[in-house]
Amino acid sequence: MSNAPHILVVDDEPQILRAIRTILTEKQFRVTTASRGEEALTLAATNEPDLIILDLGLPDMDGVEVCTRLREWTQIPIIILSVRDSERDKVAALDMGADDYLTKPFGIEELLARVRVALRHSVNRKGEPSKMVSAGPLTIDLAWHIVKRGEEEIKLTGIEYKLLAYLAANHGRVLTHQSILSHVWGPEDADHTEYLRVYMRQLRKKLEEDPERPQYILTEPGIGYRFIADE
Amino acid sequence: MWNSSFVSRFGYLLAFLLIAVITALFSLLRGALDTTLVALLYLIPLGLITARWGLGPGIMSALLTFLAFNYFFIEPHYTFTVHRPADIVILVVFLIVAVVISQLVAQAQAGLAAARAREREATQLYELSTALAGLPNDRDIAQILAKQVHAVAEGEYVELNITGIRALNIRIPDGHPPTRGPELIVPIEAARGILGEIRLWRAEPAISPSEKRLYQTFASQGALALERAWLVQAESRARVLEESDQLKSAILSSVSHELRTPLSTIKAAASSLRGKEVSWDSPARAELVAAIDDEADHLNLLVGNLLDMSRIESGALKPRREWNILPEIVGSVLGRMKHLTVEHKLKIDIPESLPLIPVDYVQMEQVFTNLVSNSLKYAPANTTVSISAQMEEDTIYVQVSNQGPQVPPEHLERIFDKFYRVTAADRVTGTGLGLSICKGIIEAHGGRIWAENLTDGLAFNFTLPLTWDGAKPPQLPMEPENE
Repeated sequence: MSNAPHILVVDDEPQILRAIRTILTEKQFRVTTASRGEEALTLAATNEPDLIILDLGLPDMDGVEVCTRLREWTQIPIIILSVRDSERDKVAALDMGADDYLTKPFGIEELLARVRVALRHSVNRKGEPSKMVSAGPLTIDLAWHIVKRGEEEIKLTGIEYKLLAYLAANHGRVLTHQSILSHVWGPEDADHTEYLRVYMRQLRKKLEEDPERPQYILTEPGIGYRFIADE
Repeated sequence: MWNSSFVSRFGYLLAFLLIAVITALFSLLRGALDTTLVALLYLIPLGLITARWGLGPGIMSALLTFLAFNYFFIEPHYTFTVHRPADIVILVVFLIVAVVISQLVAQAQAGLAAARAREREATQLYELSTALAGLPNDRDIAQILAKQVHAVAEGEYVELNITGIRALNIRIPDGHPPTRGPELIVPIEAARGILGEIRLWRAEPAISPSEKRLYQTFASQGALALERAWLVQAESRARVLEESDQLKSAILSSVSHELRTPLSTIKAAASSLRGKEVSWDSPARAELVAAIDDEADHLNLLVGNLLDMSRIESGALKPRREWNILPEIVGSVLGRMKHLTVEHKLKIDIPESLPLIPVDYVQMEQVFTNLVSNSLKYAPANTTVSISAQMEEDTIYVQVSNQGPQVPPEHLERIFDKFYRVTAADRVTGTGLGLSICKGIIEAHGGRIWAENLTDGLAFNFTLPLTWDGAKPPQLPMEPENE
C-alpha cells in the first residue's frame, strides 16, 4: 500500500470519470470510481478513501442525499461536482456537510487546488489546527486574536473579528451564508444575509488593498464566501 | 310600484272600501241627486278601480255597485226589491255598462303593461349586448351574463356553468347555491353545441314564459360573445405560436453557427496536438492549448446564455431577492473579469451612502458581467469603462458606459433583441444574447434598461426598485468602532 491519498470519484458520466481518473493518477493519487450513489456509499465504507469527489446528479439517488448519508458516520472531505445553475443544490450539499464545490466545466488547476485544501483541512481536523494564517501582507493570529498588515495592527470590531477568524480558520474552503451567519451571529439570524453583506463590506474595507476588487475574501455568488490564504 | 301579489291580496279590499265610501257619500246627497246621475257617477270609481287594481276587483266592484245602487238608491230604499220597470232597465243597463267598462279598461291596461314589458326586454337585451360587445375575455363575458340575469330577474341566486373550451363557474352572489333545485335552467347554446347553462333560483314570483324567453335570448347572446372571444383567443395563440416558431428557427440557425465556431477551433487544435505536426516544445503548442481552453469557456458561456434565455422566455426566471450591496456585486464581477479588463481603464463611482438593494445576487452579477464585457468588446483599448450608480427616491439608477463607437439611434432599442448585432456577426465574438438576458433579468426585477449615445461613447442605463414588496431597505444596527 502506498501512502498516496486515495480519492473516490462519483459521477455518472464515463467521460468525466475517465478524465478525472487520468489526471489524478498522473498527480500520484490513488483513484476509485463509482457511477451510482449506492455504489459510492458501499465503496466509501469498504475502501475508506481520504477524499470523495461527488457529482450531484446521480441516476439512483440525489447527490445531496449521498452527502447526508456519508455524514452520518464519516468526516471524509467531500467535494461537490455540479453543473452551473444549481446554487440551491450546492448550498444544500454544503450545509449538509460537504467541504467544497466545483462547477462543471472546471479547470484542472482548480480541481487540484480544491483537493489540496480539502485534504489539508481533513489533516487539521485530526491534529492541531493552524494558529497563524497569512494572506499577502495580512497575518491573522487566531490564538491571540490579532490581525496585522505588515507590522501594523488592524483594529476590528468584535463581529468583524469573529467573521474574519471563521473565514481564516477555514481558508481555501467555501463557507455558505447560512453557516457563517449561524457561526458569527447565531442560528436564529441564519437568514439575515444582509448582516453578512454589510459586515463583509466593512471588513473588506479594512483588509483589502482595493475593496472594490477583493483578493483575500472572495464572494462565491449565490453560495457564500471563501478566504484565500497563502499556500 | 304596486307589487302584483300585494294588489291581488289587497285590491279587492281596497275596491270594496272605495265603493263603500262613495256609496256613503252618495247616500248623504240622495235628496239632491237624481237616480240616473248616481248611476253615471258610479261609473267613475269603477273605471279607476279596474285601471288601478285590475279586472278582478273591477268586476267585483261592478257587482257590488249594482247591489249598492239597487239597495240605497232604487225605491223602495234599503231593499233589493224593484217596483218600477224603468228602474229595472236602469239597473240592467248599469250592470252591463259597468262590466263592459271594467273589461275595456282592463284590456287597455294589459296592453299597456305588455308594451312596457316589451320595451323593458328590448332595453335589457340592448344593455346586455352593449356590455358584451368587444369583451375579449370569456370570464368577463360569463360574469356580465350572470350579473344581467341576476339583476333583470331580481333573482335570489344565479349560477352559470361553462363547459366549453375553458370551464367556468360564476355564482352571483358568491357562496353556495340554495339547497333546493333551481327554478329555471337555460342552456347556453351555440352553433357547435351546448356551451353550458344558466341556473336561476327565484321562488317568488314564479318565472313567466315571457321571462323564460328573455333569458333564452340572453343565453344565446352570451353564447355568441363566448364563441367570438374564443375565436379571437385561438387566433392570437396561433399567431404567438407562429412567432415563436420563427424565433426558434432563428435561434437554431444562429446557435449552430455560434456553437460550431468554437468547436471547429477546439477540434483543429486538439487534432493537431494529437498528430505529429506540432513539436512538444514549440510555442505553437502553448497557443493551441490556450485556444482549446478559451474556446471551451466560450462554449460554456454560450450554453449558459441559452439556458438563461430559455428561462427568461418561459417566464421561469424568478429573482431570488435578498438585500445586497451594489459595490460588492460590481467588485466581485470585476474581480472575476480582471484578466479581461487589463487593456481598459475602469472607473467606478458608487456612493457609499447607497442603501441595500433587493436583488438576486447571481442574476445581477450576470447583468454587470454582460454589460461590462459588451463594453470591453466594442470600446478600443486604453479607453475608460465607467460604472456609476445613484439613488433617485425609491429607485436606483445605474450606468455602465464606454468610449466605444456609438450606435445609430434607430438601433438603440433593438440591441436588446436576441441575436441582434449592429456590426456583422463574424467580426465580434459573443453569443448575441448578453444584452437580451440583461433586459430579461432587469425586467424580472421590476426595473427598466435602455441604451443611450453619449458625446464620446455609449451608455447602458438601468433602474431597479429599492423597495421589496413595499419594504424599504433595512438599516442595520452597527457596532461601535472599538475593541
